[in-house]
Amino acid sequence: MLEITGLVKVYPGPVAALQGIDLDVPLGMFGLLGPNGAGKSTFMRVLAGLLEPTSGRVTLDGIDVLDKPDWLRERLGYLPQDFGFYAHLSGRDMLLHLLRLKGVQSPGGLNKLADELLERVNLTFAAKRSVKSYSGGMRQRLGIAQAIAGNPRLLIVDEPTAGLDPEERLRFYHLLAQLAEERIVLLSTHIVEDVAVLCPQFAVIRGGRLLARTTPRSAREAVAGLIFEGVVSPLELPEMRATRQVTQELLVEGHTRVRLYEPTGEAPAGFEKVTPTLEDAYLVLMRAGALPGLNAPQAAATAEVRP
Amino acid sequence: MNLARTFEVFRQEFTHNLKRPLFWVQILLLGFMIYMMSTGKAQIGSGDARVGGKKAWITSEFAVGQMLIMLMAIIYVFFISVAAGMALIRDDEQKVGELLHSSPLRAGEYIWGKYAAVLATYVVILAFHIGFSMLCNHALPHGGNAEFMGPFSAANYLRPMFVFGLPLLVLFTGSCFAIGGATRMPVLVFSFPIAVLLLDAFFLWDWSPAWLPLGVNRLLQFADPTGLRWMKETWLLVDKGVDFYNKQPIGLDALVIAQRFAIVAVGLGCVAWYSRRFASQLRGARVSPAVAQAALAAPRVQASAAPAATLAPLASLGMQAKAPGAFAMTMEVVRTELYQLVRTPGLYLFVPLILIQTLLNEYGVGAFDTPILQTAGTLASGMFNTLTLLICMVILFYTTESLQRERGTGMGAIYYATPLRTGAMLAGKALANTLLALAIVAACFVGCVVVLAMQGKVSLNPAPFAIVWGLLLVPTYLVWTAYVSAVFAVTSNRYATYAIGLGTMVLSGWFQMRGKMNWVFNWDLWSATKWTDIATFQYDALPLVLNRVTWLLVAVLLTVLTVRWFERRERDATNALLRMRPGSMARAMGALTPFLLPPLVTGSVLAWQVGDGYQGAAAKKATLDYWRKNVQTWKDAPAPVLTGVDLDVKFDPAKHAFTMKGAYTVENATDKPMVRFPVTVNPRWKKLAFTANGKPASTENRAGLVIVNPPLPLQPGERMTLGFSYDARHPDGTSRNGGYEMEFVTPSSIVLTGFSGVTFTPAIGFFPDEAVEEGKNNSDPREWPEDWWKHEHGAAIPTAGRWFDVHMKVDVPANLQVNATGEKVAESVANGRRVTEWRTDHPVRIYNLIAGEWKVKTREGVAVYYDARHPYNVDEMLDALEGARRWYGEWFAPYPWKQLRLSEFAGWPTYAQAPAGNITFSEGIGFLTQSKPDANAAFWIAAHESAHMWWPNMAMVGDGPGCEVLSEGMAHFSTLLLVEKMRGERQRQSFAKQMEARYGRLRQKDSERALVKIDGKLPGDTRIWYDKGGWALWMLHRFMGEERGLAAVREYMAKYRDTKVPASLEDYLSIQRSHAADTTAFDAFTKQWFFGVVAPKYLVENARLEKDGDGWKVTGVVHNVGDGRMTIDVAAAAGVQWPEAGKKAAPWKTERTTITIGAGERVPVTLRCAFRPEKLVVDPDVRVLMLERNKAEVKLAPVTGTIAMR
Repeated sequence: MLEITGLVKVYPGPVAALQGIDLDVPLGMFGLLGPNGAGKSTFMRVLAGLLEPTSGRVTLDGIDVLDKPDWLRERLGYLPQDFGFYAHLSGRDMLLHLLRLKGVQSPGGLNKLADELLERVNLTFAAKRSVKSYSGGMRQRLGIAQAIAGNPRLLIVDEPTAGLDPEERLRFYHLLAQLAEERIVLLSTHIVEDVAVLCPQFAVIRGGRLLARTTPRSAREAVAGLIFEGVVSPLELPEMRATRQVTQELLVEGHTRVRLYEPTGEAPAGFEKVTPTLEDAYLVLMRAGALPGLNAPQAAATAEVRP
Repeated sequence: MNLARTFEVFRQEFTHNLKRPLFWVQILLLGFMIYMMSTGKAQIGSGDARVGGKKAWITSEFAVGQMLIMLMAIIYVFFISVAAGMALIRDDEQKVGELLHSSPLRAGEYIWGKYAAVLATYVVILAFHIGFSMLCNHALPHGGNAEFMGPFSAANYLRPMFVFGLPLLVLFTGSCFAIGGATRMPVLVFSFPIAVLLLDAFFLWDWSPAWLPLGVNRLLQFADPTGLRWMKETWLLVDKGVDFYNKQPIGLDALVIAQRFAIVAVGLGCVAWYSRRFASQLRGARVSPAVAQAALAAPRVQASAAPAATLAPLASLGMQAKAPGAFAMTMEVVRTELYQLVRTPGLYLFVPLILIQTLLNEYGVGAFDTPILQTAGTLASGMFNTLTLLICMVILFYTTESLQRERGTGMGAIYYATPLRTGAMLAGKALANTLLALAIVAACFVGCVVVLAMQGKVSLNPAPFAIVWGLLLVPTYLVWTAYVSAVFAVTSNRYATYAIGLGTMVLSGWFQMRGKMNWVFNWDLWSATKWTDIATFQYDALPLVLNRVTWLLVAVLLTVLTVRWFERRERDATNALLRMRPGSMARAMGALTPFLLPPLVTGSVLAWQVGDGYQGAAAKKATLDYWRKNVQTWKDAPAPVLTGVDLDVKFDPAKHAFTMKGAYTVENATDKPMVRFPVTVNPRWKKLAFTANGKPASTENRAGLVIVNPPLPLQPGERMTLGFSYDARHPDGTSRNGGYEMEFVTPSSIVLTGFSGVTFTPAIGFFPDEAVEEGKNNSDPREWPEDWWKHEHGAAIPTAGRWFDVHMKVDVPANLQVNATGEKVAESVANGRRVTEWRTDHPVRIYNLIAGEWKVKTREGVAVYYDARHPYNVDEMLDALEGARRWYGEWFAPYPWKQLRLSEFAGWPTYAQAPAGNITFSEGIGFLTQSKPDANAAFWIAAHESAHMWWPNMAMVGDGPGCEVLSEGMAHFSTLLLVEKMRGERQRQSFAKQMEARYGRLRQKDSERALVKIDGKLPGDTRIWYDKGGWALWMLHRFMGEERGLAAVREYMAKYRDTKVPASLEDYLSIQRSHAADTTAFDAFTKQWFFGVVAPKYLVENARLEKDGDGWKVTGVVHNVGDGRMTIDVAAAAGVQWPEAGKKAAPWKTERTTITIGAGERVPVTLRCAFRPEKLVVDPDVRVLMLERNKAEVKLAPVTGTIAMR
């Protein structure tokens, strides 16, 4: 169990990136959803031991990992949002280097393991190429390979599917799903589909505060019967935006299809009730700040600064 | 090129540069140094040191130019390399390239805009430099150093800035910018400044033996981009006088003008070249059509399309993780770092650089520009500073870049989240960089092996390399690595690390140059050690060990701090502030105490050693107290003369100690009773006691001056025995920063003399000059009456006024042999001790003692005692000793002692001394040289020291002005005669040229006085004693003719050998005059060379070579731009005068004429030759002393007859 209590991070400026996060993350896959600038990466970097929080407490299986970062690192797999590699090494050598640093062992030996991992991320064909020749997606896959290596108790993946094509994204989903069976996997993303596909539970973060902690089903149920879809002309659209809670606007064959959240359950003229998606629920939550039926955890009232 | 876009690039880069710590650190550093220099004194070795004398202004164009060049080559270049070299690399790392180059911005606009910004940044710094110099020098008040400030002249600052400063900026910025751009490797941008510094500071600026051909010299001047070599060789080496330097602009010649344009062209050319390269590669590297076709034809490697679901589950891999041990982690980091190191060109640039630098040792020269015979020890020690500088620079760059690498590549988040321990990471990176350092050291070692092989004499001994580089140098690398890592850990900024690292090195060098460094703070042992084969590190072993231990402990402390501070987890600002609370700080300090205390303890012990040492504050105060307490009362007080010496001395060399029990027989040589008299002792001697005629003496110790009260007043002519006993140490404690005293007691080498200072025995009398400290209590030279020499005066060496007998009993460890003044009359070895007894077979005036572990080689009446590892020049020295006994004996007076011995001592100080019959000779000045006809220090110095047996051991000289010419000048004159007699005219000319060059380079025109006036109190006096004195006496000898001249010398010897009133130069000249054939001509000669100051300098102008019938006609004008009227040969010459043995050469032919030419005069010459002459030479046989002899010769042009001026 990963327990986060009253986590606060204030950058000089000051910018309060995290304003008191309380969260329990159980075994399995857990999503952290939020828009750009919500504080997801700050949160992940704190958990990964790369950023000292201003205050708060983080424990993994009861151990305070903020006080014992070395203990955490031995149990951590981490894929940052933005990263690079030593340009002068080949992909395989780079991976081997990280495997050695992590103390990863395998019955077949490290070389074989590296080859297996590269195969899992579909990089066998480029294993001996210098990393500097890798495309963005290839680099991302190499990052995934090193993150899943070993037997990490906690796997943190920050925007892991960014830069992956659909095929690779699917491949990665499978990998994560396998891993999540035995460990805590914390997936940070702004792509709702990732959470929808992978996470039985997730939390939504915005402006450094936790807005919700729920499951995809609960989220969808929270807006069930309240999402409507219809076509509007470009002239009508501004008024619609001003008077209704528009969640999505899609251009389809020259027309604008609009999805609305209507808390009263009464559809405007020309609109039909539709089955809500997780994205609908997420977008409503982003606009409204809260949704009836979804528990909104209490933020820490005040940030107590760690001594 | 669009100017608006170019300007936008420029504006962005320029404003960024102005905000960087690098910029401000350099501004602060320059500001500090400029202010300190402004409050200092003259930088050019010119001027008159006397009160009210003309001083060299630090505001002159020459001074400003010189300092500007040095600061640019030592400081600017490193900061420039970071700013210019990293300008493009930084854009790469910030990944702005694609955005920029997808805009209309063109490659040329980008490159030139960036470069212009870097250049403009340094122009701003240079402008600050110049402006702040003006402010400090002319607007701030000056007190004690006001006389070093000239009137304000903007041109004095602006001309050096434009001529030397700006071209250097263009070169440095352009080359570093292009290197950074082309390689995109941060470390490589530092290769240029390191190369500049190493080649300039360690070679081009100073290496200039007198035998170097002018053409080669000019080439080297052109090769030095700073222009300092040109300035030195053209204007500074031979002093032009303070008026010239203070008021004249730096005259530029074609060479330097061409060079300045060339370096600007190189700088801009580098940028232009890179701009084209950048433009061509902007859309990716080009490949040839063939390569492209092959690539297209090759089977396409595709990613697997197999879905992950078809692969075995991850669990099947059986992965486990267990954090590896610290060693395994460290080795893993080392492996990856090394992988990087060997694939970057840095290694392949720095290694050849040090190799070249090492091989240049083959051209190292010592005394009289004689090539040094390198040994393993001298090479290891000689390369110490170079290796320190080079590798510390490399460590700074490589350590910073390796610590920055994870952040720079964006890998930090992954890397720092692994279980890799911070300590293991830092250790691994440091170790890998150390291996790079070791590769450089290994290259240096290979270079040393090659140098030894090229010499073909000295065998390779790895021990000195292991000791000097292993034990002394490696701790420097460790502490510097730890320091750089700690700075990076604190700042988390590569540029701040560079700025602080460079600043630290510059400030260390600054304190070294200003003599403010000591053993405690000399973290890199810069110039603190000197190798000797004879007594390796026996002089300052304790401070050396303490220094290394202290800095190793500091390295440990810094490493601990680095591990704690390294920002693997980005610190929180609020928490950082909270950690500054007293309680937190106290806890942090408590945790650090185990690491802080050890270096503090060892450093404090070392500081105490330094403070208590013989160069410490207490010792200085004691010396000054001696002067302050006694100068008014005891200056010129009468003292008895020495008439006998009896010493019993027992050494404990391991403690640098000896116990003395001795007695002087002294005589009241005055005509009045002597109630009391002064005896100078060493204030650090212990258990000092005196007896008078065997009974305890009544004495008063006045701060090192013991006043002896004889039991009864000492009547005129009466003698008494003054007994003394004490315990002494030499060196007594630690030096300040590795300096060496002239005399010492160490386990393998002992040198003590009884005439200079009070290291060995007490000195009868009070010697105020012993306590004079330059800049504190030194005074102007005494102004002597013209006829001082006609009155009674003392001896130049106060204790040497009379002949006396010496008896010495010397007790040393049995491994040592002893040579003391006199003949050995007894020797016994028992219980590990050797006791020898020495008694003079003929009276002496000076005595000494030397001991060592020697082999000996003898000939009739002469012997050389030498270290078994140094046999190379023993025969050359024996030749000199043997020849001296024979020829000096024949020319001047028979040698009166039975033996003439020469003994080698450990080469910490480099000198030779010649008390009667027992020459002491440093290993560094003759034993380890490579004798050749043009430079033969071994023979020349041995001949010079042998001549001292006559001058002044036999004919003691007076204590007035000019008298030392009769000692050192006569020794050089004698050497000239002996060299000609035994080694021939070629070596005589070579020795004369060496003397002439030394005189020319070290004289200070404004301080120079006539030979009869110099007393050693002004800069350059000693060179005039030796070199001009020797030359003048030799020219006088030629003027007199050999028979008359030597007859006069013999008469002088006979007259002054036993006189109680020692000789003056005027006495010598008056005897010579009495033998002269033409006294009028004699007076004219001596008036200018002995009673006046002349220094001829001849130029050949308008030389023409024309066909003249079957032969050739040479015409030209000889112009004396110096002083003096001399009759001198002018020759048209062809061929090789001194062909190398076994080599074919065109025969030497000359056609001569003789002219008499005075100061400022021009005399035309016409010579008709049957052969085709190649050059027109003034004084082809080196018979007239002149300045800059290489300018008194021109090559004759082959076709038209016009000359090629050299």
